[in-house]
Amino acid sequence: MRPASDGAGPLSLQVEVVRGSFRLRVALASEVGVLALVGPSGAGKSTLLQAIAGLVTPREGEIRVGERVLFRRGAEGPAVNLPARERRAGYVFQDYALFPHLSALENVAYALGRGEGARRRAREEMERLGIEELADRRPDQLSGGQQQRVAIARALASEPRFLLLDEPFGALDPETRRKVRGEVRRILREARLPVVFVTHDREEALALADRVAVLDRGELLEEGEPLAVLGHPTRERVARLVGVENLFRLEVVESRPTEGITLCRHGELPFELPLLAAAPGEEVRVGVRAGDVLLAVGEPGRLSARNVLPGEVVAVRSHGGHLEVEVDCGGLFLRAHITRAARNELGIVPGVRVRAVLKSASCVVLAG
Amino acid sequence: MEAIWDPLRITLQVTVLGTAILGVAGLALGVLLARVRFPGRTLLEVLILLPLVLPPSVVGYFLLVGLGRGGPVREWLGVDLLFTWVAAALASAVVGLPLMVQAVRAAVAGVNPSLEDAARTLGSSEREVFWRVTLPLAKRGVLAGLVLGGARAMGEFGATLMVAGSIPGRTQTLPLAIYDAVLVQDYSLANQMVLIMTSLAFLGLWWVRRQEEPRRSPRDGPPGRPPGAPREEPA
Repeated sequence: MRPASDGAGPLSLQVEVVRGSFRLRVALASEVGVLALVGPSGAGKSTLLQAIAGLVTPREGEIRVGERVLFRRGAEGPAVNLPARERRAGYVFQDYALFPHLSALENVAYALGRGEGARRRAREEMERLGIEELADRRPDQLSGGQQQRVAIARALASEPRFLLLDEPFGALDPETRRKVRGEVRRILREARLPVVFVTHDREEALALADRVAVLDRGELLEEGEPLAVLGHPTRERVARLVGVENLFRLEVVESRPTEGITLCRHGELPFELPLLAAAPGEEVRVGVRAGDVLLAVGEPGRLSARNVLPGEVVAVRSHGGHLEVEVDCGGLFLRAHITRAARNELGIVPGVRVRAVLKSASCVVLAG
Repeated sequence: MEAIWDPLRITLQVTVLGTAILGVAGLALGVLLARVRFPGRTLLEVLILLPLVLPPSVVGYFLLVGLGRGGPVREWLGVDLLFTWVAAALASAVVGLPLMVQAVRAAVAGVNPSLEDAARTLGSSEREVFWRVTLPLAKRGVLAGLVLGGARAMGEFGATLMVAGSIPGRTQTLPLAIYDAVLVQDYSLANQMVLIMTSLAFLGLWWVRRQEEPRRSPRDGPPGRPPGAPREEPA
């Protein structure tokens, strides 16, 4: 048996991986907790996981778990490149990669060696995840959600020092996804290990992660709290990647430091933003989430929100559980998310005159 | 009965040793070609495939040079294998090898590499990955290649004649004995031996086809898998 005490601790890395013309350069640290790698396909998320697991060799950099160096080349200290089998990664593959010639139990027992002891340990692990009744099934007799659970059990049974999950929900239909998310969240918390998981789904990252890192074209764009990074990104590329619905440009008119505001305009439309360090005449890019845009029919009365833009509804679309309303505010097209109940009560249909209401604070000025 | 028994015994000896040689060599070469990129890969592949298209006499000639006076086996190993049943086994192994290599390569290439990666992350060495994951998943293809290669080895005629001759009771296998029987117009003997050869070849091919037939299980994938394509399900 391998000693259980070696190399526990946070996962930290700083690597450069080159594959053909693709280059990935990332520096990250993951404490005990769940880090989500978010980004479009081709961003290098899976490549990064493979590099951590030892399935892909970086050109240079360093990967460590606590004090234990898994890989080091070109960094200070002796060169290290532990083979995948010695890294103690619990890896859950995108398609789960269950061994099709083995039963679920034998899959979970794979890393534990052969014999009765291994089978008993594997059975315990499966009981812990509540999937003991699947023990004798073959992978092709399991549903996607069940395969996912067996794959996680197999990874955990190998007593890993950290967990890597590559799109753990990617192979599931949306309904199953929502159902198993809470369960997976519980399993990941209970494992008390650094977890890195790859996703391109914002909701998943928000539901599961303690921290989020946004990757695009091999580059780490932003890292931080899920709500901050995904809800109010401060860079335009990130805003585009995480799907901020309203992105537009404003021209600065004047700043009023004593009032803490900057007045801007979009054509003839006046805007009031939190105080900016920008000179009059300068152009700024602004991102506003559709969920932060209110719609009012008729005069809204006295509001704390500073931006009330008259406009006309041009389209109402179904968008997940709610509706997305597109409003033409004198040439500026804004999207707002509202519920069906709100739509019914306000009678929002194309052609109706509305006012789009934006708080200054939800207008996030984006860096390039 | 003596007239059949000797060639049958020699045929079995030659087939077993020949199949063992081509099995081990074919497995190693097939995995090498499927999984490792190295310079000269295509050259090696062509060399392995040559016996499929060359006349048996040419293959036999090369073996004769290799095994005979001045050849490496005699000079370096100090053994003279010419005109022994071992030489016949070698000749049949060389001729059966391409079939084995082709089958192994296709079967191994069909194993999903992420399964092997999964085994690595679970602590397996490369050797364990091969024995616990790759080989079990490629099993059908490997066995099919072994049977085809073995059947081809059993029926070897030309190259065997060149390096082992056709010495009754020592190197004369069934295919050679059939030829002799026809020459002396002993058709009754020829018929019996032809029946044996045909039955063995028939059974071998039958078994291979049965292995390649997709088995229906409740959650099986779509039918119509191309013949020879390895299945990832267990046999």
